Amino acid sequence: MAAAKGQHVFLTGVFVVTIFGVGLLQSGLEVSRGQRPQSADVFLKKPTAANLRAYEKNLEEASWFAEKVRPTVQYARFMLLDDAGPKTILGREGWLFYRPGVRYLIEPWPPKTVSGEGQGDPLPAILDFRDQLRARGIGLLVVPVPGKASVYPEMLTQRAPAPGQPLAGHTRKIIAQLEEAGVAVVDLFKVFDRAKRGEEPGGKTKYYLPQDTHWSPEGMRLAAEATARKLLELGLVERGQVQYDLKPVAVKRRGDIVRMMQAPRIERCFPAETIDCTQVVHRQSGEVYRDDPDSQILVLGDSFLRIYEQDAPGSGGMIAHLARELGFPLASLVNDGGASTLVRQALARKPALLANKRVVVWEFIERDIRFGMEGWPRVPLPAERQPGVAAAMLE
Amino acid sequence: MVFSSQVFIFYFLPLVLLVYYLLPGNRHLFLLLVSYVFYGWWNPWFVLLMLFVTAVNYAFGQWIAAPGASRRWKRVAMVASVVTSLGTLGFFKYYMFAAHNLNWLLGNLGIAPLTVVEVVLPIGISFYVFQSLSYTIDVYRGESPPVRSFFDFACFVALFPQLIAGPIVRYNTIAEQLVSRAHTWNKFSLGVALFILGLAKKVLLANAIGKVADAVFDAQAPAALDAWLGVTAYAFQIYFDFSGYSDMAIGLGRMLGFEFPRNFNAPYLSESITDFWRRWHISLSTFLRDYLYFPLGGNRRGTRRTYFNLATVMLLGGLWHGANWTFVLWGAYHGTLLIWERAMGKSSIYTRLPPPARIAITFLLLLFSWVLFRSPDIMDAWRFLSAMFGGSIAGGGSMLLAAEVYTQGTLIIMALCALVVFQPVQAFDWVETLTWGKAMLLILLFALSLMTMFVQAFNPFLYFQF
Amino acid sequence: MMQVTGPVNPCRRLLGLGLLLLAGACCGSCASRTESGEDAEVTTRGSTEVTARLVEIRGEFPENVNYDYAFVMKYEVLQTHRGKVDSDVIYVGHYNPRKPRAAAADERVEQVGGNLVQFRAGDVHRMALESPIDNYFMGGIIDKYFEEKSDPIYWAIWTNRVVK
Repeated sequence: MAAAKGQHVFLTGVFVVTIFGVGLLQSGLEVSRGQRPQSADVFLKKPTAANLRAYEKNLEEASWFAEKVRPTVQYARFMLLDDAGPKTILGREGWLFYRPGVRYLIEPWPPKTVSGEGQGDPLPAILDFRDQLRARGIGLLVVPVPGKASVYPEMLTQRAPAPGQPLAGHTRKIIAQLEEAGVAVVDLFKVFDRAKRGEEPGGKTKYYLPQDTHWSPEGMRLAAEATARKLLELGLVERGQVQYDLKPVAVKRRGDIVRMMQAPRIERCFPAETIDCTQVVHRQSGEVYRDDPDSQILVLGDSFLRIYEQDAPGSGGMIAHLARELGFPLASLVNDGGASTLVRQALARKPALLANKRVVVWEFIERDIRFGMEGWPRVPLPAERQPGVAAAMLE
Repeated sequence: MVFSSQVFIFYFLPLVLLVYYLLPGNRHLFLLLVSYVFYGWWNPWFVLLMLFVTAVNYAFGQWIAAPGASRRWKRVAMVASVVTSLGTLGFFKYYMFAAHNLNWLLGNLGIAPLTVVEVVLPIGISFYVFQSLSYTIDVYRGESPPVRSFFDFACFVALFPQLIAGPIVRYNTIAEQLVSRAHTWNKFSLGVALFILGLAKKVLLANAIGKVADAVFDAQAPAALDAWLGVTAYAFQIYFDFSGYSDMAIGLGRMLGFEFPRNFNAPYLSESITDFWRRWHISLSTFLRDYLYFPLGGNRRGTRRTYFNLATVMLLGGLWHGANWTFVLWGAYHGTLLIWERAMGKSSIYTRLPPPARIAITFLLLLFSWVLFRSPDIMDAWRFLSAMFGGSIAGGGSMLLAAEVYTQGTLIIMALCALVVFQPVQAFDWVETLTWGKAMLLILLFALSLMTMFVQAFNPFLYFQF
Repeated sequence: MMQVTGPVNPCRRLLGLGLLLLAGACCGSCASRTESGEDAEVTTRGSTEVTARLVEIRGEFPENVNYDYAFVMKYEVLQTHRGKVDSDVIYVGHYNPRKPRAAAADERVEQVGGNLVQFRAGDVHRMALESPIDNYFMGGIIDKYFEEKSDPIYWAIWTNRVVK
């Protein structure tokens, strides 16, 4: 045997202690918590490919070392490499963007490979939903919401196209296809284009929050107004008599893109934003807006409905503002990140929500066309009623 | 199981080393078992296929080496081994490709397509089929003695360090080590050093730069500058990914007492494509040279035949990487360049230029080949090559790509990659003299790599797909 | 089988130490205590209380940290302590299942908790439940069983581990 030099022994020692130590300490920790060591799980199930993948993933997720080390590594990468993590892209002037939303615009549509049925084209699911509602006498109004990068590409990169030039055609193409198929759609792309050019009341304010995926109160109000206008123009509903007032409320909000970095030290680099919101208040009672499950309109959607409505200040989001524009309270079903499918599944579980409805307004963020949770399968609703007035108007 | 994963580094490897070094005997049987566990981790059913390939080649090897076997019988056994091995590889790797192309042809002729059965590609099949094939050929040629035990042979075929992505270890390289090999502190620690360097290459460089390459190659219409950045990033990614795996494999082999051949030698410092093939995936190029190019006649049957042999070897080499026309084109491209250089007297057409210019031009030629290698199909490759020359308009959302790829991080990682790639000292040589300074640097790299690995998502090696 | 020959094994002592540590950890795990999962929370919260085996986690928990959601898992009921369940197999929605139960509650869902650290198929849990989930949780519900069952989904309020 060759004489072992100190550095050889030292390197080997550190290596061996590390590779043995991490697993042993992890197991010891689990035992001390009264758990079975996760590493032993491999003997508990049949060694199928799926079980082995799940075992490996569980092992990684439960790692104490990973949990402790992760924030420091993320912070170091943020400071040294401008790497804000897999979910975030750093924009200009402190603006943050949600990476999947940007990837949706960068990558080709439809994608070359889709993982299965209901994962690619949203059209069949939307048309099927429209037809099922029509069978119940209910109309459908679809509201695809432009992502922040679609509205503010210039805050992402200097190379963004000049204002007025369309950024990505994916969603616009789908809007055109929906309209061609006879589905009523609110084109918020046009609304925000006009607004940014100063053609909408409100001036050139920020329509999206710099550190958040969502729209600002101004952007939300524009969307609510455009949706109300469309509903009234199409004659799907008539303006009601309930009068609401607006009550200014300032809230502090830490952007969701900041939170999704999951690194407290990075979060501290982005102080919470103060946002001037407006709550919708019933003029006579003075109470803040409340949904009415018996309303003739049901609004389905995602976190774009939740912000300011269920989040602070409450009753100041798109649902309340849409109700104010229409003059009557609405029913709503909000499903964070699940407006492509989960919200329809929730509706299928609660079909009573469809009672007395004339119109369903279905909002979803454009990136869900590609990345929507659970894709775009058809979701059957329990069949009921004959075609009604609103559905007939949309034909 | 991926080397750069928690389950491998903190559970599988320590357990293997522990038992291996405590076992008084039967170490090959133990290595065989753990290698099957390692391989079966992807899909336990794949182990049966490996067992089949192993058994067939072992049997043919015994047949060839049987006392009194005639020359003709030996030849029949060798051919049968080649046919069975390549038949298995062909079925699992190329059946779908052939069937889809046949259906495309039938469709154009107006004939109803055939039903195509889905065949799953077993991971690493190209590597272990080649390895086991090398055994029967070496024994047939009399270059190696027949193996004395089935378990030893099965252990050679399945040996987990280099099982999935090489280096392709030929039987005659390792035959003696299967009989006797030394285990020393120095060997073990040099194995550790190489493993750490490989891990660092994969986790710190390949995975980081791979994000840039993926972002650009996945974009709908990248601008010219984006495309050049993307393909350069991919060139770095594939080098660090693959050479990182090879370093880890060789390192693991040393920890178990084996000496595997080097697989890379500063390939991006090549001054010609011929030179590149002496430095890139050396175990594959020598395998193809010894088992295909030479049997075809090499350069001994005249100029035209030499060109034909070169083209055949590179086309098949391309196809070996994957069942896709892009790989065929990639092989054809390299074959053409090799023939051209051969015609120029085995040197590049830019021989008279100073070395840095020769290196730069070779790298540039390689970039075009990496476009073919990375693109999912020929249309995409063409689209990307067009983008590199400004042939496509960077439109719509692809303009946002700038925000993703032109960052401080990209700049630093690219610079780091270039620094490592374009210097001559290779990991394989660097670890040979382990000083205290190097040991400390390696420990730092190990810590950094592990910390980074903890925050990275699952990221298999690129060559696993081959 | 032929033996590999070579010089004396240099790493044996170090690795022997590793074996001892490993054996120690294994013994420690074997000696782990039994737990019924009963505590003041699980026995008082919700309208139903069961001990059930987590039969299946279908699919993977979404990685999207941007949204809070409930993930539906399949259980086999071993014992009903309070209230009643409709069948031996129930479907339970757990809020943000990537988090340990003790850390799952937030400003939107304040009531969930328990001592379970991680969801693993095959484990037994003692749970305080409500039903149907839609009446108690208004966010995203990821239900991989949507197309194959019509049973109501239970909402897990408190989830404790059970060690047998």
